Amino acid sequence: MAQLRRRTAGALRAAVRPTLALAATLAVAAAFLALGGYSPAAAFGALAGGAFGSWNRFVSFTLVQATPLLLAGLAVAVAFRAGAWNIGAEGQLHAGALAGVALAVSWPDAGPFVLLTTTFLAAAAGGAAWALVPVAMRTRLGVGEVITTLLMNFVALYVTQFLVQGPLQEARGIFNMTDEIPAAAQLPLVAPGTRLHAGFLVGLCIAGGLWLYMTRARGGFRMRVAGASPRAAVASGRFDPVGVVTRAFLASGAIAGLAGWIQVAGVTGRMYEGLSPGWGYTAIAVALLGRLHPGAIVVSAVVFGALGAGGGAMQRDAGVPEAWVRGTEALMILALLAVDRGFRGTAKRRGG
Amino acid sequence: MNQRAVVDARAGPPPAARLIGVTKRFGAVVALDRVRFELAPGEIHGLLGENGAGKTTLARVLAGLLPPDEGRLDVAGRPVRLRDAAAARRLGVAMVHQHFSLVPRFTGFENVALFNEDAWTARGLAAPGYRAQVEARAAELGLAVDLDMRADQMSVGQRQRIEILKALMSETRVLLLDEPTAALAPQEAEPLLKALRRVARSGTGVVLVAHKLDEALSAADRVTVLRRGTRVLGGRAQDFSARDLAVAMVGEHAGRDRFSDRFALKSDERRPGRVMASLKDVAAGRPEAPALRGATLVARSGEVLGVAGVEGNGQRELAAVLAGVLRPLSGAADVPSKPGWMPMDRGEEGLIGDFPLDENVALALHDEPAWRRGPWLDWTGIKKRTEALVAAARVTAPGPEASAATLSGGNQQRLLVARELDRSKELLIAESPTRGLDVKAARAVRRKLMEFARTGEPPPAVVLISPDLDEVLQLADRIVVLVRGRLAPVDPAERSATAIGELMLAAPGAAGQR
Repeated sequence: MAQLRRRTAGALRAAVRPTLALAATLAVAAAFLALGGYSPAAAFGALAGGAFGSWNRFVSFTLVQATPLLLAGLAVAVAFRAGAWNIGAEGQLHAGALAGVALAVSWPDAGPFVLLTTTFLAAAAGGAAWALVPVAMRTRLGVGEVITTLLMNFVALYVTQFLVQGPLQEARGIFNMTDEIPAAAQLPLVAPGTRLHAGFLVGLCIAGGLWLYMTRARGGFRMRVAGASPRAAVASGRFDPVGVVTRAFLASGAIAGLAGWIQVAGVTGRMYEGLSPGWGYTAIAVALLGRLHPGAIVVSAVVFGALGAGGGAMQRDAGVPEAWVRGTEALMILALLAVDRGFRGTAKRRGG
Repeated sequence: MNQRAVVDARAGPPPAARLIGVTKRFGAVVALDRVRFELAPGEIHGLLGENGAGKTTLARVLAGLLPPDEGRLDVAGRPVRLRDAAAARRLGVAMVHQHFSLVPRFTGFENVALFNEDAWTARGLAAPGYRAQVEARAAELGLAVDLDMRADQMSVGQRQRIEILKALMSETRVLLLDEPTAALAPQEAEPLLKALRRVARSGTGVVLVAHKLDEALSAADRVTVLRRGTRVLGGRAQDFSARDLAVAMVGEHAGRDRFSDRFALKSDERRPGRVMASLKDVAAGRPEAPALRGATLVARSGEVLGVAGVEGNGQRELAAVLAGVLRPLSGAADVPSKPGWMPMDRGEEGLIGDFPLDENVALALHDEPAWRRGPWLDWTGIKKRTEALVAAARVTAPGPEASAATLSGGNQQRLLVARELDRSKELLIAESPTRGLDVKAARAVRRKLMEFARTGEPPPAVVLISPDLDEVLQLADRIVVLVRGRLAPVDPAERSATAIGELMLAAPGAAGQR
């Protein structure tokens, strides 16, 4: 009982900063809305209505939008926890989606079990493969992964463009997209009367598994050590931090790959240019708002999912351009950094 | 004694600097409590105290780096409010820090010129005649400096002399030095103190923050001792013995530490134990410039092997090779797997500040079969072990969930010692194990190390790597000196600070002159 109380207190304490950042973001956003001549109250009202207005809106829009953000956010968190700054979830997500689609469309007569399993594996492998180049460049050549992962995103976009106009283009050859994947590869819907697909549950399972792994398992512990203090990891003499970071980075790519494939298998049914409106980047904000904690990332993915789902309603009902939502995501990162900085400042002053 | 310019404060000019009732708090911690301090022009004032007693805080208040919460600061008889180091500088107050602030890629001359704006022309270059002035000043002060050498190529002693010269190029009323001899060999410390004497004779008041009692007594005209933020003793240096100062510094139980508290057992009374670790002609570090080159060493069961030497002579690499985390470039290293290691930088390498205590214990021990359940770790067992270690080592901590960063330095080190002693029964590498600890904590750590090397069957080998000669002399059964990446044995018959100091600065292009 006492332990439970301590746990709850700890979780509440950990939630202080993200909540403050969220509040600051909304306040600044409201100020900008007012400056732009919009009514913040009307805009927020429309946004909330669009995201949470009804059970169906919440499940079919907010949670469906939250799904790729949840997976990509977890991917980013795994890498960040291990001290690898993977900015390449966007590219890995495309690579995963492409790998899954390529397998699914070329194997139309496979059974659902086989196809679901193999496409998931293919997507994870595709995402991991996309992370392999930056990993190798970091561990072998000492090239910073921030740049390489970011650049690999653009490569992924152009590879996607090429494939959906060429080798993987639909049989009719009209639009720049792939054929629809066979029904056996599509994810089932899980909430009657809504569009929520099983991918959301997959995301929740991965979040739970990661939480257990990070807090209880030897490998997760090593990952956190390597991320918190590479020098202490070396000095412990117990393991090779380079190997640990490599594995974390590849796992991160694999989860990002799943994020892309699950979107195709659960929502679009096809791969095309512009599948992702930048989820791989928003995922960084998702992971940071969730303080890299798998459980909290579920919450923060829903927050960002709500922003995305409510953005359309806001444009329609309050006349505020949807681009404003993108700006809010950036504001969120800035607010998080500012709040962290503020806390560190006070801690320093106190500690002398 | 007779050459000392002892200034009578009543009759002489106003003090160069004076603190009256100065209090400085950091949160709940009172670093300085209504402290009085007076520096006469032309005197060397030794400022003594244990770690955490407030000496550095006092020096930083004097230098304008910390504003006092209460009290008054006078410079040259007038109350001042120093906003920053630049303001202090304009009033003629300069500080030489423990960690120097030279631009590594600049030469000695460039560093001196950079700091003295009056030497600049409108285009930002040093005035033509300035070089001659710098040389003249260096000669006047008796500071042997190479003005054309880049700062990153200089030895610690050379960098320190440039640092002092740069502070003294313009008129300086107050010169503050924070533990200037801490990183020097005895042979380098003496000329430095001589130069400071000359500086003082020219009218500058010199504050010497020191931790070595005898040095403070021999170099200073007056001394002030701080204990837990208050001034507990002050007066003319000649009126006090080292024991008086030690008593003032640590309170009642003083004087028993350094010299009388030795553990008896000399190496010749015991049979040499079996070899626990050996290095043969080992080179390690960056391939193009290995910091360790040709190091040969044998660590035997039941003995403390002391590795003396000025920092930066390959200590890091030696420790890492012995700990098995750095592969030698050449030569043979025969070391036990996973020995205990207390790294020098305990906050960065030994412990992870953000992690709770149990995870910090797991950091070193999580590989042990007893703690593994397949891919999982037995966190209940780890927590129990942590509680046992914390209790046995008398670590003051709220509990195993507290983060390591919340512990004091002494408690962190106690935890680290307990953990590392728990780790290997064969070899322990202790790098500067008492750095930054107060006398009591340091003594406890030293006692633990000695006991550790004497217990067990067979007892383990302890390799003590420390630039603190007193510590090495006190603890080690056998001493080697690490100089420019090589190990030189010390003849047991000539076990003295002087003999070791000579080896530390050993002949051609010695380490100290690097």
